Amino acid sequence: MQLVASVVRGLRRSSSGVALGACLALASGFGPPAAHAEVATQAQVETDLTCQCGCGLTVHSCNHLNCGSGIPLKKEIAEQIATGKSREDILSYFEGKYGEKILSSPTARGFNLAAWTVPFIAIALGGLIVGIVLTRWRRGAGTGGGADRPGAPPLRGAQADPELRARLDRELAELERRS
Amino acid sequence: MSEIGRLAVVLGLVVALWGIGASVLGALRRDARLIASGKHAAYAFSGLTGIAVVALLFLLLTRDFNVEYVASYSSSTLPLWYTIAALWGGMKGSLLWWTFILAVCNAVVQLQNRDKNRDQMPWVTATMLIVGAFFLSLLVFVTDPFERLPFTPREGSDLNPLLQNYWMTIHPPSLYVGFVSTTVPFAFAMAALLTGKLGDAWIRTTRRWALFSWFFLSLGNLFGAAWAYVVLGWGGYWAWDPVENAAFMPWLTASAYLHSVMIQEKKDMLKVWNMALVILTFALTIFGTFLTRSGVISSVHSFTQSGLGPFFMGFLLAILTVSIGLLVWRLPLLKSRNELESVFSREAAFLLNNLILVGIAFTVFWGTVFPVLSEWVRGVKITVGPPFFNRVNAPLGIALVFLMGVGPVIAWRKATAKSLWRSFAAPLGTGVLVGAIAFALGVRNFYAVLAFSVAAFALATVWIEFWRGMRVRQSMLGEKPWTALSRLIGKNRRRYGGYIVHVGVVMIFVGIVASSVFKLELQRPMQIGESATLGGYTVRYEGIEVEDDEHVERTFARVSVWDGEGQGATRLGEVYPEKRFYKKPKQPTTEVSIWSTLGADLYVVLGSYDPPTKLAVFQVFVNPMIAWMWIGGVVLALGTGVCMWPSYAERAVPVTSRVPAGSRTA
Repeated sequence: MQLVASVVRGLRRSSSGVALGACLALASGFGPPAAHAEVATQAQVETDLTCQCGCGLTVHSCNHLNCGSGIPLKKEIAEQIATGKSREDILSYFEGKYGEKILSSPTARGFNLAAWTVPFIAIALGGLIVGIVLTRWRRGAGTGGGADRPGAPPLRGAQADPELRARLDRELAELERRS
Repeated sequence: MSEIGRLAVVLGLVVALWGIGASVLGALRRDARLIASGKHAAYAFSGLTGIAVVALLFLLLTRDFNVEYVASYSSSTLPLWYTIAALWGGMKGSLLWWTFILAVCNAVVQLQNRDKNRDQMPWVTATMLIVGAFFLSLLVFVTDPFERLPFTPREGSDLNPLLQNYWMTIHPPSLYVGFVSTTVPFAFAMAALLTGKLGDAWIRTTRRWALFSWFFLSLGNLFGAAWAYVVLGWGGYWAWDPVENAAFMPWLTASAYLHSVMIQEKKDMLKVWNMALVILTFALTIFGTFLTRSGVISSVHSFTQSGLGPFFMGFLLAILTVSIGLLVWRLPLLKSRNELESVFSREAAFLLNNLILVGIAFTVFWGTVFPVLSEWVRGVKITVGPPFFNRVNAPLGIALVFLMGVGPVIAWRKATAKSLWRSFAAPLGTGVLVGAIAFALGVRNFYAVLAFSVAAFALATVWIEFWRGMRVRQSMLGEKPWTALSRLIGKNRRRYGGYIVHVGVVMIFVGIVASSVFKLELQRPMQIGESATLGGYTVRYEGIEVEDDEHVERTFARVSVWDGEGQGATRLGEVYPEKRFYKKPKQPTTEVSIWSTLGADLYVVLGSYDPPTKLAVFQVFVNPMIAWMWIGGVVLALGTGVCMWPSYAERAVPVTSRVPAGSRTA
C-alpha cells in the first residue's frame, strides 16, 4: 500500500487533488486483509477460505447439504483454532495444504499485490487525469480561451460587457436560489 | 416446426447480411432504394427471428423431445410457466432469445426514426444487423437450437431445478433487455462517427434508450439478487460471482454515461468521453456474454462450457478495434468547448462521479479477470472472492453516494462559498446527526457509521430540493402541497425523476450496508418442540411434513416465529423452509422461508433432516433492513418511469417538428 500512499501524497500536492486525495486516503485503508498475529475466530477463517465444492462461495457461506468440501473444512478450521494458532498461521497452513486457490482473497505478496494495488492506482491515475483536465478547462475559462480560440464566434452583447456579465451572473444566481 | 424455426434462422441471417450490404452501399452511394431495402431487411430480420422464437416455444410447449434443446431443458411434468422460461434457460435458446430482443429493438428504432435521422439510419441499421448477424451465425453454424436427435427420448432432462423459481422467469429477460438495448445507443454512436454528424442529435435520439437499458440492467441485477437470496439459501444475495460481475459492469458504465451526457447537453463538453462510455458499455455486455458462455471463468451461473468463447472474444475485439478506430479518426471533430469556471461546480462533481463509477467498473473487471491473469503469468490458480470485492469497493461506494448528494444540488458553472453553505449546511448537519445517532445506538463499525451518515446526507439534499421547489410553487402560485409537488415533478420530469432514482439507490445502499454489517446467524440441530433465539426473534420447530407429486418431493418444516424470547414472547406466525428433491434431474434444492419486515428479514433454512428421529438442522439468519433494498428497487423503477414519461410538449407536438434543426434542448 506504500505505492498507493505515495500516489495519494502526490495528488494532494496538485491543486485539484484535494477531494480525490480524501477519497483515496479513505481507500488506502482498504488493502489486503491484515492477518498479522491476530487471534482467529471460526467465522473469520471460514470467510477467508473458499469452499472447493464449486459453489463459488466462502466456506462460511456454503450451505450445501452434506457438502464434501465445506463441512470437513469447517472441522479442520476448528481443529486449527483449537491449537491456538494465529489467523495468519492458520491461513498459511491451509494454503500449504490445498494451494493458493483455497484463499478467498489474493495474498498481499508478489504478483498478487497487483490485485490489490492496481484498482487504486488506476483510480488515482484517472483522478490525476481529471485533475489535469479540470485545471486546463479552468485556465481556458479564466482567459476566455474558449471564446477567443480560432473559429469561435466573436464576443457580443452581454458576453463582451463585464458589467452585463456580472449582472447575468447575479441574475442566474438569483434564479437558482429561487428554484 | 423445428424445420420452420431452422429455416427462419437461416433466412434471418441471409436477410441480415443483405440488410448490412444494402444499408452500407446505400449510405455510401446515397441511394434511397438501397437504404429502403436495408430498412425492409431490418423488419424482415425481426419477423424471421420472431418466427424462430415462436417455433422453439411451440416445440417446448408440445414437448417435442426429439429436439435436443427441448429434451435437455424441459420435461413432461415441468409447469407451463417454467416451460416458457426454458426458452432462455439453456445456452442455445438464450442466444435466440437475445437475437429476438435485438430484432424487436431494431424494429422499434426503424419505426421511431422513419422520418428522422435520415443520414444516420443506414449506419444504425447496418450496425444493429451486424450484431444480429453475429448471433444468428452462431445459431446457424455453431449451436443450433432446432437440432434433432437421432432418437426420441421418452422424457426430457428437465430445467435445472435452481432455475425453477419465479425470479428466474423475469431475471434473465430483464437482464437481456438491458444488455441488448445498449446496442441502440452504440449503433447511433457508430452512425454519428461514420457520418461525422457529431452534434448532440444522436444523444437526444438515444436518451430514452440509454435510460431504458440502464433501467432494465438495474432490474436485471436486482431480480438476480432476489433469486440468489431466495434460492441459494446462504443468507446473502450477491457473491461477486463472475457472472454477477458481468451484469454489474455495464450498469456502472451506463450510470456514468447517464450523468456525463448531461454535461454534453448543457455545456457541449465531454463528447469523446461520452462516446467512449457508450462503446465501453456495449463492449461490456458482449464481454459478459463471453464470460457466461466461454467457460473461461467458472461460475455457478454460467451455461455449460462451450466452444463459443473464441467467437465472442473475436467479436469483442472486432467491436473494440472498429469503434476505437472510428473514435480516433473523428477526434478532430469531437472537440468540445471545454470551459470550466470552477472546480466547485456540478460539472466537476459529475466528473468525479464518472471517475468513481468507472473506477468501480474497472475494479470489478480486474477482480474478475485476475484469476485468469494469475494462471497465465504464474501458472497458479487463485480465487478472488467476496472479501476482495467488498474491501476494495466499500470506500468507492461510500464516495459515490456522497457525490450523489453533492451532484444534484451544486450549481452548474460555479458555486460560491455562500451558495455551497446554503445548499449543504442542512444536509451535512443531517449526515453528522445520523452518524452520531448510529454511534450512540452502539454502532462501532467506522464504515457503517460513515455509510449511514453519507446516505442521510444524500437523502437530505434530495428532500431539500423537493421541499424548496414545492415552497416556491406554493408561495408564487398559491398551490396546495400535493398539487405543487406533482406539478413540480411534472414540469421537470428528468430532474425530479432523477432525484427519485437517487432515493431508490440510497435505499438499496442502506439495505446492503445494514444487511452486511449487522447480519446475525446461527446453525442448530433441533428436535420437534425445541426453539432457538436470534436477534430478538425466537423460532420453534413445530413439525415436519412431506408432499410428493410426479415432479418434486417437498419436505417442509413448520417453524413458528416469535417476537422476543421466553414467556413474554409474542407469536408472529409460521415459516416453512423446505428441502426439495426434484425427480428429473435427481437433484436436491433448498427453499428458504423468510419472515420479512421493514426492520429485518428472519431467514430460515432447513439444512438437513433425519426422517427416523425427525431431527432437523436449521440455519437461521437475521438480515437487517434488507427489505429496503427491494423497496429501493421499486422507488428506482418509479423514478426511471418519471424520467422516461414523455412531457406534455413531447406528446402534443408532432415528432417531426419537435426539435428544430441545429437547436439544443435543455
